[in-house]
Amino acid sequence: MSKDIAFSHMVVEVSDLDKSEKFYRDVIGLDLLGHNMVADNRPNALLAMNTRQRLLLVEVPKVPPYPASGGSIHHGWLLTIDQFAQARDRLEAAGYASGIDPRQTFRAVGEYNMDIIDPDGNRFQIQAFGEEATDILPSGAGVVSCGNIADHAVGDVVRNGKGRFFLSRNEDGYLAISAWCTHKNGVTVWQKESWHFYCPFHGAKYDCTGTYFGRMGCAPMRLHPVDIDEAGNISVDTNRFFARSKHDPAHVVPAKPGAKFSTAGLELVKAAVPATTSSEG
Amino acid sequence: MAYVESLSHSGICVHDLKEAESFYCGVLGAAVHSRVNFKTQDALRGRSVHTSLMLSDYLFAIMLSEDWMNIPPLDQLRGENRIRHAFCVPKDKFAQILQSLRNHKVALEGPVTHPETGPFGESIYFRDPTGNFLEVVWRRDESASYNEVLPLGHGGVG
Ligand code: FES
Repeated sequence: MSKDIAFSHMVVEVSDLDKSEKFYRDVIGLDLLGHNMVADNRPNALLAMNTRQRLLLVEVPKVPPYPASGGSIHHGWLLTIDQFAQARDRLEAAGYASGIDPRQTFRAVGEYNMDIIDPDGNRFQIQAFGEEATDILPSGAGVVSCGNIADHAVGDVVRNGKGRFFLSRNEDGYLAISAWCTHKNGVTVWQKESWHFYCPFHGAKYDCTGTYFGRMGCAPMRLHPVDIDEAGNISVDTNRFFARSKHDPAHVVPAKPGAKFSTAGLELVKAAVPATTSSEG
Repeated sequence: MAYVESLSHSGICVHDLKEAESFYCGVLGAAVHSRVNFKTQDALRGRSVHTSLMLSDYLFAIMLSEDWMNIPPLDQLRGENRIRHAFCVPKDKFAQILQSLRNHKVALEGPVTHPETGPFGESIYFRDPTGNFLEVVWRRDESASYNEVLPLGHGGVG
């Protein structure tokens, strides 16, 4: 089918058009365009979002029940952060418990959500992203000791929870990869079974160099500088984050005593206040 | 102006994920964005089993229904069963879509012409393999300028 196909509108069955129209107009915040604007004999109302998308409400004698397992079926509205604050006020004024996100555990930092059920039991998520969704978030762990080069084999990926990074030992040496997803500040996990980093918030995947692969076009995961002293002891500076447009082997620190991180071609994106050395591995 | 930009995503419950994926991708041209709950972390977080699909700028999830849903008789081609998703194409691609659906042997109702007072031109109605109701429409307002639908980077399936 043509690549020009796009989402146009959602048709929602309602048992009381007046009531639902008020809900979607006054509580959700859609614009009412008018009634009976479509070829449909049933009473209907067309509402607009600011994009081309529309919502069509059609009144039916009986809205069918949800399947018993339908608890996770929902649809999400995207709002700007200002619209989100206004929506919270509208929801509160209309007597809907807002400010509570029953699914907070699924949210990345800076992702805001309210869940709301329409008069016929359809669940909607109201969603907005604040600027902190893309802020660089220092862990506060400072410079972290990560053992000795003798401790790691090629292919090892060691998670440092406190420092929010992974120490990845590939065949050329070490990379300290910030665990923050470059999509929206979810925290990634290393999935050894598929040999990639995975962000369970919206599904981003990155290979063992931190290079994104998939359809969202995310930047590579950021790097922290790795330093190896003359005795082969490894430290990672979590105060400094370097962004990159693609993986470059020049940023891999060779697994040799005295090897240093090269910042050539990298952009320092956040320098947190230097902290004292911590020994968590 | 409304106080809402767009629908950022939605869910469609299906009885057979593989069959649904091949319909939405093979017939409608969607692409798989991610498969959720085929990974340990998703299971640990209690996520539902679903495959997220992108159709142009729209993200929707085909979600595995854990029990049998009430499906209206399959010879009814137009309806909602609560919700119907409608996709639009430019008017000059409408005939092509119609032909493509016919080539895929998708049973259709329509085209139905909408009143000229509204934004919709003509619609065709059909079902996915589970029986969810779908629509393809061309719109009279296709040259109007609206806010852009923000890309997936601004939203995700929660
Ligand atoms: S925060 Fe969205 S995929 Fe990671």
